[in-house]
Amino acid sequence: MLFSSLLIGLREGLEAALVVSILVAFLVRTDRRSALRWVWPGIAAAVVLSVGVGAVLTFTTAQLSFEQQELLGGSLSIVAVGFVTAMIFWMRKASKSIAAELRGKMDNALAIGPLAVLLLSFLAVGREGLETAVFFYAAVQSAQGGTTEPLIGFAVGIAVAIALAYGLYRGAIRFNLGKFFTITGVLLVFVAAGVLGYGLHDLQEAGFLPGLHTLAFDASAAIPETSWYGALLKGIFNYSQQTTVLQAVAWVAYVAIVLPLFLRRPAVKTTPVVAGTKE
Amino acid sequence: MTLRKTPLVVAGSAALLALSACSGGDQKAAAGGPITVEATDTACTVSATTANAGNLSFEVTNKGTKVTEFYLYAQGDRIMGEVENIAPGLTRKLTIEVPDAGTYQTACKPGMSGDGIRGAFTVTGGAGRKTDTNTQLADATKSYATYVASQSDALLTETQKFADAVKSGNVADAKARYAPTRTYYERIEPVAEKFGELDPAIDVREADLEEGQQFTGFHRLEKDLWVTGLQPDSGQIADKLVTDVTTLVNQAKTIQLSALDLANGAKGLLDEVATGKITGEEETFSHTDLWDFQANLDGSKAAIQSLRPVLQERDPQLVSEVDIQVKNVQTLLDKQRSGDGFKYYTELTQDQIREFASAVDALGEPLSKVAEVVAQ
Repeated sequence: MLFSSLLIGLREGLEAALVVSILVAFLVRTDRRSALRWVWPGIAAAVVLSVGVGAVLTFTTAQLSFEQQELLGGSLSIVAVGFVTAMIFWMRKASKSIAAELRGKMDNALAIGPLAVLLLSFLAVGREGLETAVFFYAAVQSAQGGTTEPLIGFAVGIAVAIALAYGLYRGAIRFNLGKFFTITGVLLVFVAAGVLGYGLHDLQEAGFLPGLHTLAFDASAAIPETSWYGALLKGIFNYSQQTTVLQAVAWVAYVAIVLPLFLRRPAVKTTPVVAGTKE
Repeated sequence: MTLRKTPLVVAGSAALLALSACSGGDQKAAAGGPITVEATDTACTVSATTANAGNLSFEVTNKGTKVTEFYLYAQGDRIMGEVENIAPGLTRKLTIEVPDAGTYQTACKPGMSGDGIRGAFTVTGGAGRKTDTNTQLADATKSYATYVASQSDALLTETQKFADAVKSGNVADAKARYAPTRTYYERIEPVAEKFGELDPAIDVREADLEEGQQFTGFHRLEKDLWVTGLQPDSGQIADKLVTDVTTLVNQAKTIQLSALDLANGAKGLLDEVATGKITGEEETFSHTDLWDFQANLDGSKAAIQSLRPVLQERDPQLVSEVDIQVKNVQTLLDKQRSGDGFKYYTELTQDQIREFASAVDALGEPLSKVAEVVAQ
């Protein structure tokens, strides 16, 4: 009971925490701490908005229709993919300048506006924020009804996600810079591919895109989303146990296009170890 | 922390809040609150398997050990709504707008995988029935015909007992049976009135007798029982009453009513109350007017009940209005109950009578629009 709620919290919190931690690590490593002050308002805005709308949906008769919900989630996901993709290439550019021993001269390459940092943080957190907030309220209401386990589990899950992300951040800033860029970049490619697939799946569920029941594979038995490893995979890479053909094609296409683009003329001599595919 | 949100974020927030606010829509209160769903690892128990079209609220409680999801599917597994991440021990709400009648499926998905534990769910009314309005009207008349048949049977049985009491000279028993027996007649009076001479023969008032018309039926026996004492021909009158009621009942069962008849009947019954019952003229000897009053209201309610699906679809506002006013009249009647029946009309104060009159008028208002809606 507690554990399954914990996994939900972990899953919902992980992706946002991950993207934010990579962003923060990146800004710290590239001596752009000044941009850090844009991260927190972005996160705060997303949290406030999610919690606010979640409250409206929970405590009033207002409701989002299923289509509105999925359209919102799906479109935000696809916008987020755009941003994460931009961030990947921005990192690549940065890593090239680093490889070129242009340390301290990175400002041009890193001409990232505060707005971009803010929006990326906002999107990373806000994308799943609404569902998370509504879940949180349901957990609170159940807690008032005498079942505190879901709430505790959920809170612990979020905390674990943040701890993992912090660990990643600590680890990441210990890598040498070139490696850091490559590894986090590759990681982000897969994260973004997952977000893209997830967003498309939302749009399929809402009926905007066809083929909801045309599955590429069904790994419900092998890697269930309700297991801890399934939850981790879902949290980080948006793995879904039942993947539609459209989702799979989009995922493969994204990785096939973006990964080589990111890795061509690698900035560092060591060829990076490409993380295994999702499945 | 100073939160210097960019205009974009603010605009986004505003849009989202507006979206969630405006899509609240008009909450059609589902009768009896939300439909509860109890999900376990092996079962998916839905508290109701039918609902009227509109906003359906589900409250899903996970009593199993696995995280579950709840879906409402339309034909071909089109998702009407879903709620995910229902952790064990959690209750989550889901409101889905289902505008069309039809067959749907509920599904719980323990472990959030597979096709889930399905159950059939029927939605009635709504726009999906537009093409089917003739069926709806036919259903209405059929349902009302059933009501008429059940009341007629009771009327015949009770009239027989009442007549027997009169014929055996048991005045106390006959008096006690009088008002309850008439109840069955008064409930279906609009139908009775369709049979020309039968209605006056059974139900004529002394004051309304025409030149040369014999005073027969219930009210003649009422006068005998309460005023003059039983007459030599009271037994014959009682026999004639049974014969007339038998004829009426046989005809009532074969009569083809239209939905419009129902609508007019519902209104007619109320007019009865407003013009006849409220003055105390109907039961001028026994003063059991409130029994008739209640029976007329019952009959009116039954007709509206049969028409409800049609009305709900065409003019839900009117249905609520009728319901409210019916309740008002019923509340006033309930105040005057005494034992199994009611107080005598003579025990009411002028104020109470006025109160009745205005409540009846207030109900007549929406009822007079029913026929129009049915005729659309």
